[in-house]
Amino acid sequence: MPSATVRLLSRTLAPTAAMLAFAPLAWAQEVATNPVVVNTVQTAERSIPLWWWLAPAAGVVALIMAFFFYKSIIAADPGTPRMQEIAGYVREGAYAYLTRQYKVVAIFFLVVALVLAFMAYGLEVQHKLVPFAFLTGGFFSGLAGFFGMKTATAASNRTAQAASVSLNRGLTIAFRAGAVMGLTVVGLALIDITLWFAYLYLVHHRIVGGEPMNLETITVVMLCFGMGASSQALFARVGGGIFTKAADVGADLVGKVEAGIPEDDPRNPATIADNVGDNVGDVAGMGADLYESYAGSILATAALGVAAVAFGDIPESMAFNYLSAPIMIAGAGIILSILGIFLVHTKEGATMGQLIWALNKGIYGSSLLVVGASAGICYALFGPAGWGIFGAVVVGLVVGLIIGKGTEYYTAAEYSPTKNIADNATSGTGPLIIGGIAEGMLSTWIPIVAVSVGMLMAFGFCDGFDNLIMGLYGVGIAAVGMLSTLGITLATDAYGPIADNAGGNAEMSGLPKEVRERTDALDSLGNTTAAIGKGFAIGSAALTALALLAAYLEEVRVGLHREAAAVYAEPAPGSDYRTVDLGYGKFGLYVPSPTDKKVTHEQVTISAITAQNDEALIIKTDDGKTHHVVVNEMGVVAGNIPLVDVNGKAITRAAAVKIAAAAGAPEPSHGGFKASLNDYMNYYHITLINPKVLVGIFGGVLLVFVFSALTMKAVGRAASAMVQEVRRQFKEKPGIMEGKDRPDYARCVAISTAGAQKEMVLPSLIAVVIPVALGLVLGVGGVLGLLVGGLCTGFAVAVFMSNAGGAWDNAKKFIEAGAHGGKGSDAHKSAVVGDTVGDPFKDTTGPSLNILIKLMNMVSIVFAGLIVKFAPMISNWLHLGN
Amino acid sequence: MTTHLYLMCYRTEALVASQLPAEEFGAYMAVGTAKRTAGNVVFFEIDPAFKSDVLPIEAAKARCVPHPDGTPKRSKYVSIYRVMEHVPLSAYGKLHLATRDGRVLSLDAAPYDAAGEQPGANMYVELCPVTPRVVSSLPPAAFTKFITDPQNPLAVPRIFFADTLVDRDADGHLARYLPYRDLLHIEDCLAATAHAAGDKKTKTVDRNPPLVAFYRTIRRGFFIGDATGLKHYPYPSPAELDDKHHKWWRSATLG
Repeated sequence: MPSATVRLLSRTLAPTAAMLAFAPLAWAQEVATNPVVVNTVQTAERSIPLWWWLAPAAGVVALIMAFFFYKSIIAADPGTPRMQEIAGYVREGAYAYLTRQYKVVAIFFLVVALVLAFMAYGLEVQHKLVPFAFLTGGFFSGLAGFFGMKTATAASNRTAQAASVSLNRGLTIAFRAGAVMGLTVVGLALIDITLWFAYLYLVHHRIVGGEPMNLETITVVMLCFGMGASSQALFARVGGGIFTKAADVGADLVGKVEAGIPEDDPRNPATIADNVGDNVGDVAGMGADLYESYAGSILATAALGVAAVAFGDIPESMAFNYLSAPIMIAGAGIILSILGIFLVHTKEGATMGQLIWALNKGIYGSSLLVVGASAGICYALFGPAGWGIFGAVVVGLVVGLIIGKGTEYYTAAEYSPTKNIADNATSGTGPLIIGGIAEGMLSTWIPIVAVSVGMLMAFGFCDGFDNLIMGLYGVGIAAVGMLSTLGITLATDAYGPIADNAGGNAEMSGLPKEVRERTDALDSLGNTTAAIGKGFAIGSAALTALALLAAYLEEVRVGLHREAAAVYAEPAPGSDYRTVDLGYGKFGLYVPSPTDKKVTHEQVTISAITAQNDEALIIKTDDGKTHHVVVNEMGVVAGNIPLVDVNGKAITRAAAVKIAAAAGAPEPSHGGFKASLNDYMNYYHITLINPKVLVGIFGGVLLVFVFSALTMKAVGRAASAMVQEVRRQFKEKPGIMEGKDRPDYARCVAISTAGAQKEMVLPSLIAVVIPVALGLVLGVGGVLGLLVGGLCTGFAVAVFMSNAGGAWDNAKKFIEAGAHGGKGSDAHKSAVVGDTVGDPFKDTTGPSLNILIKLMNMVSIVFAGLIVKFAPMISNWLHLGN
Repeated sequence: MTTHLYLMCYRTEALVASQLPAEEFGAYMAVGTAKRTAGNVVFFEIDPAFKSDVLPIEAAKARCVPHPDGTPKRSKYVSIYRVMEHVPLSAYGKLHLATRDGRVLSLDAAPYDAAGEQPGANMYVELCPVTPRVVSSLPPAAFTKFITDPQNPLAVPRIFFADTLVDRDADGHLARYLPYRDLLHIEDCLAATAHAAGDKKTKTVDRNPPLVAFYRTIRRGFFIGDATGLKHYPYPSPAELDDKHHKWWRSATLG
């Protein structure tokens, strides 16, 4: 018997041992030869069911509708020359900002793509398509932001002009402009995801040769597309957030407080930058943010669906359905969002309540329709077993609405928390700040409880307490359900800044009072509905992050296999197997490479890790030592690889079963030797008493706080530069205040742009570098700790900051409306300070934390192979164990 | 170029000759130079035909000539300190209210029905020559007569003041939208003048109030008067201000 042969040493019976040894191969053989399995390795023609194409078709419909809405907006009356002139300033500033930002981001993407290419082609710890997936994710995210902003900047003056005709007309223009953002985001994301899948599933192997990729590989490659989207989102959110708040603070502190100039007064040099900020921060930034949430939730859930089949005692034939469910729900959500968009209209002279109802009937209508459609999709894909998954979808939608309403309660001036903060203003700035922080902290209970309960329910609905990976799939599906109506919820979010800009345009253009009243009503409505949108964003971030945690382990599993395959060693002539100890409890079991050159090393490798359970295989490696292992991944064994017994004799699975039966051993369950999630947790010692995990958790907590501090300090520095510039202009051009000189708007835009570009780099780099650096030192356990610490802390801090900032802002507006002395009173001065403190809370740091959480996950997923391979070496070298 | 005479009476008391029209003069005083006024500027347009034996108006006018580059002379001070008392009521023209950022609202004088006045709760901000906030049971004409009565040991020769809001809410307290620093103290003062059976007509609320959001607190308007008469400058309603003088009102509501 060749020394490299896998020697099965049963504890009792040799036949059983033989069966155990070959069971994985037999299992793979079955997979390979079963014609009903979609995840086949046969080179037979692959096809995608017709119904699946409805998803990309929905994405195309979204883009067509977005184009239709865009054209209808462009065709609308752009208003007077003055209105167009002001809109032109804003548009120029926005383009100048985006152009510069995209240059910086392009450099970042180029560098990271080169690193990923080195990992893929040099170190072979990453799939070779990952750099391209990364680039397309970023590209489409940036494209969605660009289209959204292009529409928003074109819509402000048209909304103002339309409002001069009627309130309904103004609402229609502004909302449809927001819908362009929403539909572009969901359309591009779903098209990108489905085209990548179709390419990898149907086309890739035809171009580069080799066997078709299996579904597990496809889904983990596509997950890396999410890192591109997350990176772009972080730059857009952090950069846009810094820009908009620097401009806002500069405009307020010098313009309003020092010079006494009202909001949106054209004499204020920073007023155009302020309006540009609304577009680059609240439209483009938010669009990129939700693009990556949307794509991330679909990709992570799809990956978990495939993993659920692999681990969860689910027939292989269902893998395609599990992968497709989130994609199909998202596709249905797009179509139903479009229907919802058409529901949004109101009558002339509508009250605020009627305006809110106009938007809500769109959101609620879409949500209800999605519930119905999801029921149909789940039943069609899974039969009666689909009701649990359907339940998870409903849970996601409900959790999103609860978080949105909770956000509204804690930030709207109609409710007691914000009124309490306003009351504090009468006692001074200190009590106001204390009150805002306290209410913000308290406000975290609704989202955290909602997400926690929702998580447990989605987990339970999908049988998670008996089948872990299916439960995680349910959590992912809940996030997909929550974001399924993103087309319309994002429209209501993006609509706010458009209405705000329209109000500014009306004010600067000197439009009549009734027009300003209408744009004010639209703006006020936007503030209310935006709370719901933020609830969806933040809730989906938490749920998606949990799904991504599981997806990370899936990527670790793939990374382990890739590492083993990278050192493939051909068995000796005449030998059937060769087993190599890769060190640190990792093993590669290699079968002969067939003559068919299309078979890759990954496909003829069986990777394994040290086991800590009784069902382990016992293998003997080249050095004669025996090891207890569980099989990590089978590889995709080509159909012509013979299945052999310990004597090298060809054997079928049926024969292996017969041998086992003769020995009195039970037939091994399907995939019974594949490592479970718990095996990986055991292998990496992922327990709360492992100091590496604890240190990782602390690292995650620290990263959230450091990131928050850096982004807020960045706003402070950029705002300071803006303050100096506005003061300089007032000093050097006294005619500005007297209306005789025109301020240099472009200079303020340039300062905010430069500040944002300069200041966004460090926080963004930290978010990318720390998970990798910490992972290399503390390994997979440390990374999981980092992600858990970052998720829990980041979620709570993000909610706290967003809600505290929103409450301070609305407390100020409440006072400006007449409470506690109104504008100019001492209470108002305190409220202005609170709003200034809250600005970076709610518009820079808070929203950026959502992305930080997911970007850390994505970076960990993409760099998992590197961590898997090198972390044990570094850790050992540092005497930190394996 | 026309030379205007402006009597600044809040916060500085001065008679100024200027070649700027009122809108530009107000903007100049509020924001035009590094030595601009902190806060609102209130000034009267004085009849250009007004002559004075006390004030060197003609000399100032003679010096009020355009700059060598042809730009108008923005200000040439005629006199500061105790100016208002030397300008008779008949010479006061439009009243101009400039905001911190230089927007100007002009008010015309209008007839005032002094005979129809009724006692009640009033709060006045005296703007010139002294600047306390007082509450009084006396209506404007009676208050003017009282404060400029030579028999009164605390009298001034002429008074310029604003009538300010004392709105009450449903509970009878001063409305919470009023931007006054200590509403309870004002309520106490109003009660003191209301229940003092005639012997306590006025009471000082604040010797030198900061006049926060001043233009938002004006009730019936501004008054200038003395023992010989009273001029009333009615103040438009907030709705009218927002509608017809939107830019000014937006500036004015900032404080």
